[in-house]
Amino acid sequence: MTSGDPVLRLCGVEQRFGLRTALSGIDLTVHPGERVALLGASGAGKSTLLSVLGGSLPPTGGTVEILGMPLAGLRAAGLRAAQRRIGTVGQRLDLVEQVRVLHNVNVGRLGRWNTARALTALALSRTDPTVEAALEAVGLGWAVHERTERLSGGERQRVAIARLLVQEPDLVLADEPVSSLDPSRAAEVLDLLRTATPDGTLVVSLHQPDLARRHCTRVVGLRGGRVVLDLPVAEVDDRHLADLYTAA
Amino acid sequence: MSLDTRGERLERRPGPPRDTPGIRASTVTRRRLVGVTLVLAPAIWAFARALGSGTDVVNANGIPVLGRLLAAAGDPAHSVAFLEVVARAAGVTVVYAVLGTAAALVIGALGAVILSDVAWRDEPAPAVRAGRLVLRALLVAARSIHEVIWALLFLSVLGLDPLVAVLAIAVPFGAQTAKVYADILDAAPRQALSAMRARGAHSVPALAYGLLPPTAPLLLSYAFYRFECSLRSAVVLGVVGIGGLGAEIVVSLSSRNWDEVWTLIGAVVLLSAVVDLWSSSVRTDLAVASCSDWSAGSVAATSRTRSVRARWSAGTAVAAVVVAWFASGVSWSGLVAPRTRMLTARLIDEMVPPALPSGGWPELGGAVLDTLSMAVLAMVLAVGLSVLLGPAATRVRPVRFLADPPLRWWTPRTAVRPVARVLLLLLRSVPPTVWAAIALLVLFPGILPGAVALGLYTGGILGRLVAEAWENIDLRPRDALRAAGVPAVAASLAAVLPPSSHHLVTYTLYRFEICVRDTAVVGVVGAAGLGSLFAENLDLFRFPVVTTLLLASLAVTVASEVAGRWVRKAFTA
Repeated sequence: MTSGDPVLRLCGVEQRFGLRTALSGIDLTVHPGERVALLGASGAGKSTLLSVLGGSLPPTGGTVEILGMPLAGLRAAGLRAAQRRIGTVGQRLDLVEQVRVLHNVNVGRLGRWNTARALTALALSRTDPTVEAALEAVGLGWAVHERTERLSGGERQRVAIARLLVQEPDLVLADEPVSSLDPSRAAEVLDLLRTATPDGTLVVSLHQPDLARRHCTRVVGLRGGRVVLDLPVAEVDDRHLADLYTAA
Repeated sequence: MSLDTRGERLERRPGPPRDTPGIRASTVTRRRLVGVTLVLAPAIWAFARALGSGTDVVNANGIPVLGRLLAAAGDPAHSVAFLEVVARAAGVTVVYAVLGTAAALVIGALGAVILSDVAWRDEPAPAVRAGRLVLRALLVAARSIHEVIWALLFLSVLGLDPLVAVLAIAVPFGAQTAKVYADILDAAPRQALSAMRARGAHSVPALAYGLLPPTAPLLLSYAFYRFECSLRSAVVLGVVGIGGLGAEIVVSLSSRNWDEVWTLIGAVVLLSAVVDLWSSSVRTDLAVASCSDWSAGSVAATSRTRSVRARWSAGTAVAAVVVAWFASGVSWSGLVAPRTRMLTARLIDEMVPPALPSGGWPELGGAVLDTLSMAVLAMVLAVGLSVLLGPAATRVRPVRFLADPPLRWWTPRTAVRPVARVLLLLLRSVPPTVWAAIALLVLFPGILPGAVALGLYTGGILGRLVAEAWENIDLRPRDALRAAGVPAVAASLAAVLPPSSHHLVTYTLYRFEICVRDTAVVGVVGAAGLGSLFAENLDLFRFPVVTTLLLASLAVTVASEVAGRWVRKAFTA
């Protein structure tokens, strides 16, 4: 993959769950440095699309290429190699409550570490400059040896972002990462997500069009599992948004 | 407000639509009737079988002997030389228990990873599935054979080696641990683990980071519970002659040195008390599961962060394993020695094909029925003891919300509770083999002495289980009734009796399954049943018959587990 190649390319992607069609005919290409906001009403297919993009949900139709690799042809090891370059953040933080913050941040590097290194890190509980830098970046430098369950909700979210930072992904997929945050905290989190990848490539599902306008370069609108809007952010107006949120 | 004025509000309203029809009252009654019959009929049958053979039951000559045994309780042996013997024997028992538990945990951990679904991402390959079926069957067989039987088998291959005791504990307990650990791993929340896998983490690190931390308190808590069980087993194993407190008790009993018997029993009780206290303090500190949860196989308890006490205990336990290893002189080399291989090959060769005992099918069938009736009678005695001692052993919890709760330092209950607890401790700490030996002083060999011995022992365990469960019953319904002016007895009958009896039934059925397995122990020392037939035929080197008896025990254990599950279902309908 060269620097200009797309990080994501979806052709005619379809996702069925039994009789229900969650996604159909999705064509989408994301280039490095693009910050894509996925907008749409609840149930429009945003989360499903993000799961397909992350490789954890193989689509029932169409082709998906992640970071230049076609998903369909990948075996388990190949898929793992692709997935370790994708950072994911969700509403659910998926932190391990019972361990110290340090280990939850290290989870971001598990994809790159071999088994011996991972187990040693867990057993020794030693911190290193990478972890410290990531925690400093999210303002939690003091918390490296704290127990995760003792942190507040906001602090835990920042631990999840520190985990993303040490993963050094090429692409970040975020599923409603700021839906439970106040506006200033939401802006802060979206800024941090931009810094997680070298060129700031980000696909994020949002419920607040204002945030999409301020933090993203492109808006993809979904309705009933189809892409109904795909425009640079500057060209999106209130009429588009109203269309997006009215019933299909 | 009278009911009339509320007539409008009490109007019958249809509930929300349901997919399945509700349970009808007639179904509940029918299931309960079936349940009660399934409990009462076997009890009556077992009594008839134990007493109805027309022969004498009580050995009148033994009564003065029992008197002398009881009289010696006032003056236990306490010479320095004998106390040294006791201390050494206690050391041997603890070493067996520690090493047996450690080995069981290793077997359990490995087995659990293979058996759990979560380790295979919930979709094991067909080959793995097939392998797991075989492993499951092997583990069921391993845990359905009693430690004493394992010890006798290992003894015939390894000779008098400390390894016999360690393996006899490790094999059945390892199989049990594998099952429980697999359940714990599968019951843990797995969002964090799935997220790690979705980020490309390797299998082992993902499990270590995502699954081990949330399950560690439960795993640790169960390890300590297993150690309690191992200690009891290590004492019981003395009966086959491999040392420890159990062996010393057998020697003192057979030479009728009653004062020594009491000292040794004192040592066993003391040791059990210390281990019980330690183990339950770790468990309550972790607040993960009560002893009763574990014994009933429940792993739904909440888990908390590792506590300081649990950490120290885990550290101490690891140190104890190292010390026990060097102190015991156990060496695995015995396992792979050419002589062991030769003897194992010969044993297996001689064990197949299985053959019937000399009395044919009637003798085998009779032994199976004896085993079952012994277990049923033992449970009747155990339930009686639990109902008698259990309530006395539970903590008194005053009614909340009651104006002016009477604050008294001393009530009859506060004095009775320690007595009841010590009695329960005594009942369960003295190995069933010793209870059997004592029962055989006054009862002729047969079903009854075995049932009495097992009943006393099981009563001690069951009483503690239900007392612990009763202490944790939610008393808010009772308190609410009391606050509404309901008299104390009525409030307890309405709000405390149903959950209490539910606990009693659940644990009784569960212990019955274990009791069937335990009949082997009392059989070995001369009561009736499959155990005594087993010991008899092993002594005569009739290995094909031994195989048949092992298979019969397996079948009886599995059948009693299945029957227990049915009855439990019938009662909870």
